[in-house]
Amino acid sequence: MRCHVNYFKNQKGQMKIQEMAFVLVAILIFFGIIAIFFLRIGISGLQGSVENQRAEEANEIVRKLAATPEFSFTSKDCDNCIDLDKVMALKDRKAYAGFWGLDYLQIKILYPEKTGECTKGSYPDCQTITLIKNKNETGIAKSAFVALCRQEFKQGGYVKCELGRISASGKGLDSLGGTK
Amino acid sequence: MKNKRGFEFSFGWIFAIIVGAVILFLGIYAAMNLVKQARSTGDTFAGKELGIILTPIETSAEDFNKPTPISFPVETRVYNTCDSLGNFGSQKISVATKSSLGKTWEKPGVASTFYNKYIFSASTIEGKSATVFAKPFNFPYKVADLIFMWSNNDSYCFVNAPDEMKEELLFGNVRGVNFTSSPTECKKGSKKVCFSGLTGAGCNVEVNLASQSVKKDKQTVYYYSDKGNALLYGAIFADSGIYECQVKRLMKRTASLALIYISKSESLAPRGCSSNLEGDLSAFVNQTLSFNSTIELRSLELSVENIGRTNDALSCKLF
Repeated sequence: MRCHVNYFKNQKGQMKIQEMAFVLVAILIFFGIIAIFFLRIGISGLQGSVENQRAEEANEIVRKLAATPEFSFTSKDCDNCIDLDKVMALKDRKAYAGFWGLDYLQIKILYPEKTGECTKGSYPDCQTITLIKNKNETGIAKSAFVALCRQEFKQGGYVKCELGRISASGKGLDSLGGTK
Repeated sequence: MKNKRGFEFSFGWIFAIIVGAVILFLGIYAAMNLVKQARSTGDTFAGKELGIILTPIETSAEDFNKPTPISFPVETRVYNTCDSLGNFGSQKISVATKSSLGKTWEKPGVASTFYNKYIFSASTIEGKSATVFAKPFNFPYKVADLIFMWSNNDSYCFVNAPDEMKEELLFGNVRGVNFTSSPTECKKGSKKVCFSGLTGAGCNVEVNLASQSVKKDKQTVYYYSDKGNALLYGAIFADSGIYECQVKRLMKRTASLALIYISKSESLAPRGCSSNLEGDLSAFVNQTLSFNSTIELRSLELSVENIGRTNDALSCKLF
C-alpha cells in the first residue's frame, strides 16, 4: 500500500518537472522568435542605410568627378570642364573599373543632339560614353550637368565645349556580395 | 528540539534555478553581443561616412583648400591604413568610438576602402574633432588631391618655416599650428617641426629643404618639391610608413594617368596635334611603376621637369 502511494507521488512530481521543462522550452522558443523578428527588422534597416550611404557617396563623386585628373580639362579657361579626349582614352582602361566604387558611370552629350555610344570610329559624333556598367542591377543614378570640352583643329584650332550630363550610381548590395 | 534537516530543496526547485540561470546567462550574453555588434555597425558606418565627407574637401581648381574641422559626436579613434598592392593601392579608414558600455575602446569597425583617396596622417588619430585640409599634387600633371589630417588634441609648432608655408597656413587659419623662430618658444606638448639648419634641439620632425628630406621617428623620407609642396606637408603630418605607402600609390596613379595622356596624344596626332611626348611618357610609366622608395623621387625629378617643359611649349597642350 505504501509503495503504491510513493509511486503516484513520484509520477506527479515527474509530471511537474516535465511541465516546467516544456514551459521553459516554450519561453526559449518565444524569445528566439522575438529575437529573429527584431534581427530581420534590423538587417533590412541596415541594408537601407548601406544603400543610402552608397547613393550619398555616388552623389559626392558626381559632384567632384569633373575635377579629378582623369576627367578634368586642364586649360586655364575651363576649370570644371570634362576633357572628352581623356574620357575616350579612359574608356579603354580596365584598371579603373573599381577605382571610384561605382556600378555605373556614363557621360552623355545633351546639346547638340547626337545619337549612339561613342567608339574610336564614331567619336566625336556620338552621344554617350559609358565608362562603367555593372551587368547586375544598378542603383538610382545621380546626375550633374557638365561642360564637355575637346580640342578642335579646324580654323586654326580652338576648344569646343558642349553641354552634357554625368551620371553615376554607387555599388549596390548585389555587387558587394550581399543579398537584397 | 532542534531541526537538523536544514532547508530542503526539492528537485523541481533545483531544476528551475539551474535552467533559470542558464536562460539568464544566455540572455545577458546575447544582450552584450548585440550591444557589441551595434557598436561595431555604428563604427563601420562612421568610417564610411568619414570617407564620404572627405570627398568635398578635395580641391578643384584651388591650390589650397581652407582647413575644415570635423567633429565627432563622441571621442573617436580614426585608424588610417594604407595598402600599396593592386593597380592603385588602397586607402582604408576604420573608426572606433569610446563608450561607457563594455570596454572603453573596442576593436574598430570594418574598414572602408577607397582607391581614390590619399590621407596623410598618423596611423591613429584620437579626439573629439580633427582638422583636415587638402592640396593638389602635380607630377608634372595633377595626380591627386592629398588630404592632411590631425587630431585637435595634437598641436604643431613650425620653427623657422619658409615664408610661403607660413603665409599659406596663416591665411587658411589652420588650427593647431603655431610658428616660432626657436624650438624653445614652442608650446609645451606641441610637436616641433624644425626647418633647415635646426637639428636636435628637441625637434620631433626635421625638415631639410636643401636635400628635400624629412626626418621623423629616426626615419628619413624624401619629397618632391612641386608648386604647392604637397608632399612636404604629407611628410610632416603622416607617419613615415603611411607616407612611403601613399607616395607609392601616387606613383601608380601617375603611371595610369601617363597611359591616358599617351592615348590622348595618339588620338590627337591624326587630327593635327602631335605632341611627340609618347616616348617620354612611356619611359615615365616604367619609372613610376618600378617605384619602391621615396628616395627614388630624386631620379624622377628630371623626367618630370622635362615632360612638363615639353608640354608647356606645345600649342595644344596634353595637360
